[in-house]
Amino acid sequence: MTATTTNSRLYASHRSHSQLDGGKPQPPHIPLKISHTKSQLPYPSTNSPTLLKPQSAVGPMKPRKLSLLLKAHGKGESFEMLITGAVSHSFLALYSPSSSPRTLISPLLPKRRRLFSSLLPPSFSSSPSSVARRTLGRRNSTMSASSAVRGSAQKLENADGLIDSVETFIFDCDGVIWKGDSLIDGVPETLDMLRSKGKRLVFVTNNSTKSRKQYGKKFETLGLSVNEEEIFASSFAAAAYLKSVDFPKEKKVYVIGEDGILKELELAGFQYLGGPVDGEKKIELKPGFYMEHDENVGAVVVGFDRYFNYYKVQYGTLCIRENPGCLFIATNRDAVTHLTDAQEWAGGGSMVGALCGSTQREPIVVGKPSTFMMDYLSNKFGILKSQICMVGDRLDTDILFGQNGGCKTLLVLSGVTTLQMLQSPNNSIQPDFYTNKISDFVTLKAATV
Amino acid sequence: MVRISKADEVPWRRTMRSSNADVRRFRHFSRPYAAAVAGRPTALSRESRRLVLLMAAGEAQKESEERRGGEALMADRVRKEPPCQPLSPQTARSLAESVDAFLFDCDGVIWKGDKLIEGVSEALQALRSMGKKLVFVTNNSRKSRKQYAKKFAAFGLDVSEDEIFSSSFAAAMFLKLKNFPKDKKVYVVGEEGILEELELAGFTCLGGPEDGKKNIQLKSNLWFEHDKSVGAVVVGLDQHINFYKLQYATLCIRENPGCLFIATNRDAVGHFTDLQEWPGAGCMVAAICGSTQREPIVVGKPSTFVMDFLLERFQFDTSKMCMVGDRLDTDILFGQNAGCKTLLVLSGVTTLLELQSPSNSIHPDYYARSVFDVIELLRT
Repeated sequence: MTATTTNSRLYASHRSHSQLDGGKPQPPHIPLKISHTKSQLPYPSTNSPTLLKPQSAVGPMKPRKLSLLLKAHGKGESFEMLITGAVSHSFLALYSPSSSPRTLISPLLPKRRRLFSSLLPPSFSSSPSSVARRTLGRRNSTMSASSAVRGSAQKLENADGLIDSVETFIFDCDGVIWKGDSLIDGVPETLDMLRSKGKRLVFVTNNSTKSRKQYGKKFETLGLSVNEEEIFASSFAAAAYLKSVDFPKEKKVYVIGEDGILKELELAGFQYLGGPVDGEKKIELKPGFYMEHDENVGAVVVGFDRYFNYYKVQYGTLCIRENPGCLFIATNRDAVTHLTDAQEWAGGGSMVGALCGSTQREPIVVGKPSTFMMDYLSNKFGILKSQICMVGDRLDTDILFGQNGGCKTLLVLSGVTTLQMLQSPNNSIQPDFYTNKISDFVTLKAATV
Repeated sequence: MVRISKADEVPWRRTMRSSNADVRRFRHFSRPYAAAVAGRPTALSRESRRLVLLMAAGEAQKESEERRGGEALMADRVRKEPPCQPLSPQTARSLAESVDAFLFDCDGVIWKGDKLIEGVSEALQALRSMGKKLVFVTNNSRKSRKQYAKKFAAFGLDVSEDEIFSSSFAAAMFLKLKNFPKDKKVYVVGEEGILEELELAGFTCLGGPEDGKKNIQLKSNLWFEHDKSVGAVVVGLDQHINFYKLQYATLCIRENPGCLFIATNRDAVGHFTDLQEWPGAGCMVAAICGSTQREPIVVGKPSTFVMDFLLERFQFDTSKMCMVGDRLDTDILFGQNAGCKTLLVLSGVTTLLELQSPSNSIHPDYYARSVFDVIELLRT
């Protein structure tokens, strides 16, 4: 089956379909449903507050979405997508003859593979409710498409080229700048070099145990000159989110987390309850025991908490379930975190999971890979996302964060991810480049000179 | 009319008469079928094209059901039947006649926290005098069967240990059925009930309420040790949950090869005191899921694991059983999955509003205010 035959047949089918309806002008909104299996990501995909916007009826389908589809089919995986009928023409225009016919999907054929042997992908249904179901809550992380265009990551060779093509560098902290309490080799020189080239440096971390000020102090003790304004911890992100939604100052915030979140909330001018103090409180499930909760709590912020206990879970659950309009905010959903550099520890994903399990509600995630911090940065500093390069050590948070935001991504192998994990067939997140550590910026540059 | 080759010919009469399953088998005739669905010109007559489209619509719906999984499938099937009706004297009588065994949930049906619900003891006595078998299936893993029997005795209800199936017992039985090796240990994130049942079954346990007192002092060179011989982690309701337990369980599941992750149940909230609802085991299980990114094997309701035990013990037909519960997503779903009749009582967590809400997809056969209503209606 040649490409052209398939093209024309699809085009013809599109026309005849509308004829079948008696020539009624149908809204060209044909959803394409393919299911995504959880097991594909090495780490879990997380909910983000940004929803997938349906494609407009006019205009070509963005190349990245098409290639995502192609890549998906090449691997035998599948994704859920929304494409419009009108877009299918441009879809055909972008069709590359090298792809197999299997990847071309007529939006009109509803049947599954088993009915048409190996010809077609899984079916779709075009009812509006199912469309709504699929767009809402669609995990943004699966739709990050820039990796699909590039294929697998390339080893960073032309460091200068990358440096010159971007204006801002966003660095993750754990595993990129430091490991535990010790600085990684060559970091100060690299940061100085980048600054001397006039690049803006930003440090984004999912760790909510410290506030920006406390992180500033940590940078200082390690001998790096970093301004507090350049640091964005997820504790700060939670406070910034509440500010951005005009959270009323008379309402309180219940915190299941550590000092960092409390300090940031205080700086932003919000009243808070909870925190490490509630770690001392005990529960006795005996008759006549009634737990009171403050009805004035308007938001519950959950992050990593080593003083986690049943009292906090119940308080948070009561607030979310019984206070009308109570927000449920999570700083991050990392499954494991490196509290000590020697081993992994259960991370914020655990505490957030506990609250999700008891309230049966999904939180608004402000930390990576949600793009909230990236949007905040680009607004604050007035920078274009295409001018940013994200440098991180974790695929499911840092690299996905960069891809969701639409910027370049560089993976460093000085943290939790190894080359083996990057190149494993189970891994579907591919950064643009990878390198051993950030000091390679300096050493590679020196090599080319 | 478009000329088609012999290969494309559809035995259209067959298409009309045969079931969907048959059509799927005739894949080599599927091209005209596909064409008809797509609206392309085919050799099918208009009539058969219309029928084909109808079948396709039916198939699409069936597939969406299947894709949503077994539980939703059951729920959908129920939805197509008439919605649930309140128990009336006639239906109560027919229920009593057709059912030989009653399965009761405990929290919210028999008691609320430590307070017996009104009329329950009378109702149970009356059912026993009618010759009905009574079985108590509870998702609450805080107590073992022996402790539950004591609780029943304290309320003045005569219930033997053999009639009680708690999720703590279910977890122990699951490990036994799996031939869990006796040299491996089990780490428990839960309370005494689970520990007792596991020990009765002959397994070595770690964890439990004791670990609730342990704290972690995070220093830069701290190394968290865990026992490498732990072969399974059992998670249930734990009011002494803390970071130590979460970390221990996470390390066991992530680092011990082949470590099982078993959950007694996934109830979000429950009535553990009579005055308000408290987070249930679903909370602890979700916490471990969040840090290990693995899904557990659930042994409690709505999983039908316990039903297999019941059937073996009592040799009843499931159609002659009635599940009486207060939660739609565990009790009623459990009954439906197993094929029993289901009766929802409104004395627990579910309100009439929730039952009749349009977003609810689980419909029991009947509903009543409480267990006592069953007897009251029988007497009228």
